[in-house]
Amino acid sequence: MRLIYVGLLFILIETVALNYYAHSSHYTQAKILSRANSVFGWAQSSVFGVKHFFTLRRENMELSERIAQLEGQLAVYREREANAQTDSLGFQSMDSLLHESISQYRYTTARIVQSTISHNRNYITLNRGLMHGVVEDMAVITPTGVMVGYVVGCSERYSVVLPLLNTDFRTSGKIVGDNNFGSIYWNGHSPYKVQMTELSKYAEIEEGQEVIASGLSHYFPEGIRIGYVDSFTLNENQTSYDVEIRLAANMTKLNNVLLIENIDYGEISHLEQTQGRDGEQGSQP
Amino acid sequence: MGLTLVLLQIFLFDNIALSSYFHPLIYVAFIILLPLDTKPVWTMLLSTAMGLVVDVMTGMGGLNVIACTALGFFRPMILSAVSGHSPTGENAITGLHRFTEKIMFWYITAMVFCHSVIYFFLESLSWDHIFRTILRLLVSDIGAILFIWYFVKLFIEKILKK
Repeated sequence: MRLIYVGLLFILIETVALNYYAHSSHYTQAKILSRANSVFGWAQSSVFGVKHFFTLRRENMELSERIAQLEGQLAVYREREANAQTDSLGFQSMDSLLHESISQYRYTTARIVQSTISHNRNYITLNRGLMHGVVEDMAVITPTGVMVGYVVGCSERYSVVLPLLNTDFRTSGKIVGDNNFGSIYWNGHSPYKVQMTELSKYAEIEEGQEVIASGLSHYFPEGIRIGYVDSFTLNENQTSYDVEIRLAANMTKLNNVLLIENIDYGEISHLEQTQGRDGEQGSQP
Repeated sequence: MGLTLVLLQIFLFDNIALSSYFHPLIYVAFIILLPLDTKPVWTMLLSTAMGLVVDVMTGMGGLNVIACTALGFFRPMILSAVSGHSPTGENAITGLHRFTEKIMFWYITAMVFCHSVIYFFLESLSWDHIFRTILRLLVSDIGAILFIWYFVKLFIEKILKK
């Protein structure tokens, strides 16, 4: 008789858990993880700190290379500014261009305190949260400007990132020098490769070409590097390419990241929602 | 012991970024090493609690609860199958320390396999990548079985024999 009760309890627990699992999304999972981080985040941070110590040498080299690259870009801007001073019209347009590029995105840095690659739904935890100005929907890139993911949950001191290596991740990408875009996702297999689908068959594509963010997703500014074309095939209907992309970032060895907030995102999102509601109301008889 | 295993799982084994195929679920050792005279209902409830703790700390949406509860429920049957004795009754084996090495090995293997079959197939939720799921399961299970085997040999066996 007792076994019957145990059996019934087993069925009850499994039904509740299965129901919860079936309805859980990356959003609900990130919420749970954010709450857990506010309690256990310090422990994760300590463990990752030890791991981080052994990668400082490589990280310093990467940062030095990045500084050299940015110095080069800065030199170009300085030269343009000096040239523009002789042309007041040119200077004004240069100034407004710089102002626009600065005002749309806000940058901040963070350190990874936990990340996994062995699940289908992987997450990354960062040591920056609401009190540091991190908010949901911020883009996350490496210090060398390569796409990592975007923030889906924040606690006061920590935030949770939905990385490229999560089967729920979606963004829009394109081949450098081509305006056709496709949908980027991860099929859950290799931590070094993601996939792009629905890329028009008219796109000019070759192996080794760089794949970047198209800018159609509100999270990532246009031009953020994703990876390189590894292989491509036409889909079954011969209407678009399915592309295998070798990731530019080694997701297994990430330590520091940059967060980018699209300041216009809230306004765009609000506008789209308003338009959506108006459209629905307009379509009603 | 349960806390140690959870901490090892979350801070060590979940952070091993060797491959997406290698994900040893070592915290099942907690369910494996529960005393044999634990009542079935308590075995199942303790297993559920263990799954819940791991789910909350890793952000998994109930996957560990599903797999652990099933393992807790099926443990008496697995014990009977590998040892040839009922876990209760006159011929019952009273403690894990009475297991021979062979029985212990098959008991650990069967428990790890039962748990990971549920875990990995539910996680993939697709038959499209069945070979990848099977490979993940085998690679991860070898890691988990080896860890639990040595965990038992080095730390637990001496405690059980006292």
